Amino acid sequence: MFKRIINNRLLIFGISLLFIVFSAAIFAPFLTNYDPIEISIENSLLAMSWEHPFGTDELGRDVLTRVLFGAKISLWVGAVATFYSGIFGVLFGLLSGYYQTFDSIFSRLVDGLMVFPGLIMAILLMAALGPSTKNVIIAMIILYTPRIVRVVRSSVIQIKIEDFVDAARVIGANDLRILFIHILPNAFAPLIVQVAFGFAWAILVESGMSFLGLGMPAPTPSWGNIISDGRNFVYSAPWIMLFPGLAICMSVMGLNFIGDGLRDFLDPHLRNVVSRE
Amino acid sequence: MSAYIIRRLLAFVPTLFIAVTLIFVLTRMVPGNPANALIGVRGVTAEKHDELVRQLGYDKPIPLQYIDWLQKIAHGDFGTSVFFKKPVIDIILDRFAVTLSLSGLSMLITLIIAIPLGVISAKRPGSILDSVVMIFSTLGVSVPIFWFGFIMMLLFAVNLGWFPAAGYRPLSFGFFPWLERLVLPVFTLGFAQVALLVRHTRSSMLEVLNREYITTARAKGLSETKVIYKHAFKNAFADIITVIGLVFALSLGGAVLVENVFAIPGIGNLITTAAIRRDYPIIEGGIAFVTFVALVVNLIVDISYPIINPRVNYE
Repeated sequence: MFKRIINNRLLIFGISLLFIVFSAAIFAPFLTNYDPIEISIENSLLAMSWEHPFGTDELGRDVLTRVLFGAKISLWVGAVATFYSGIFGVLFGLLSGYYQTFDSIFSRLVDGLMVFPGLIMAILLMAALGPSTKNVIIAMIILYTPRIVRVVRSSVIQIKIEDFVDAARVIGANDLRILFIHILPNAFAPLIVQVAFGFAWAILVESGMSFLGLGMPAPTPSWGNIISDGRNFVYSAPWIMLFPGLAICMSVMGLNFIGDGLRDFLDPHLRNVVSRE
Repeated sequence: MSAYIIRRLLAFVPTLFIAVTLIFVLTRMVPGNPANALIGVRGVTAEKHDELVRQLGYDKPIPLQYIDWLQKIAHGDFGTSVFFKKPVIDIILDRFAVTLSLSGLSMLITLIIAIPLGVISAKRPGSILDSVVMIFSTLGVSVPIFWFGFIMMLLFAVNLGWFPAAGYRPLSFGFFPWLERLVLPVFTLGFAQVALLVRHTRSSMLEVLNREYITTARAKGLSETKVIYKHAFKNAFADIITVIGLVFALSLGGAVLVENVFAIPGIGNLITTAAIRRDYPIIEGGIAFVTFVALVVNLIVDISYPIINPRVNYE
């Protein structure tokens, strides 16, 4: 019981962290008087002050403003990528777990996609697709869908031999009904946890790709882009990269706490099913 | 057991084949052909483009290109770099030695730090030490690695002046200059890995410590040290070893970012620069090579598994 409360605290702490970040993203235009993209050279590289709590960057843009607007973009990209990975992952996971013939082919593809060290595959995809916001999202969907497929597939394989599935079939339920009404709800716990970790992963990967210059195109204030802008001023103006990094930590940590909290709350045995990487 | 090893060796080939095929398919997804992307980028004119197309073999039908490519890489021939005008494999091997220093050292410190730390925190779950370890390990998987690298650089190179800020010296310059420049990158890369492995070690140990034979061992009056190290850890280790391959693959991905932060001329740096310059032979070759290494490490882990844990039936 004690452990459950501790874990609930994790969940609550994670949700609070994320709530702050989401509020910042939603209310960005009301929280600042500056423009995230407009250049004002006369304000270049100003240190932290009351006017510019996070300082300004090389082009005189307020870093706080860029971090706030960056929240919107980084979270949006992460959310869209996770959402579609979830949709495709569930669809292919259900098919792969339920139909052996489909599985024997599709699992090879999933294995093939999973052997690449994550970021290296992202580089390959971005080199092939070209840098744009849409392509960053596509690359992340391609990278993360296999992970969701694996989780859903292994749940389906376990659930489809349960008696209630046979019972449903005996009453005359078709495959579609069995998959979506009987199996999917029972596979939901590991799925939701993997989705939380996926969201955290997406934020980290987006920032990494943008940092390498293979992510979001230039003036877009994503967190990775702001850090990338600040890399030439690490010594003279460390505030440029400091704050977007903290923002990434805060959201990713929030999501990881939510994932851990949910996992322990829903089903402690999931520890071995769901993975962070 | 030998049947298991042979089966595992045989499974290696199709996996590698699928990975290599995916690399080919994805690079051919570039509209037109990869040489088109070079027009205007690197002073490539229309005439030079045709020459380049022939040289890179993009004028042949796709299936033929694919067979050509497979044959070549099977012999370790990844073509010639558009930018360096040198055989890709030579450049890759050169750069990979650097990445291996970085990834190898960070793997080493990860094992030295993470496993004892995981065991100790599993000994008293909920204790202060355990909480501190868990907080740091959550931080480790949440921090963007390249950002953490800059923080390390600011702190230990700029403010304290303990280590050089960036750069790389090969071992031929002497052991100390080599090591000195690798300390910050290695710890940066190691942070995320330690975090991952600590968590895994801790949960494996906790699981084992809940088993009945541990209670028996305690009941017959064995010292706690003996219970933990002789009885529990040995069994947990069989489980821990499975994630080591995963951690290594992670280190290869992380190395890309760390090499960029600390200006280390490793393979990650090579692939990123090639991606920006659109030097496709390097991109294809480099990624195929890194994937191959990750696969080999996983294979070694899989094969060592029955040796460490002989009781499991692998047939």
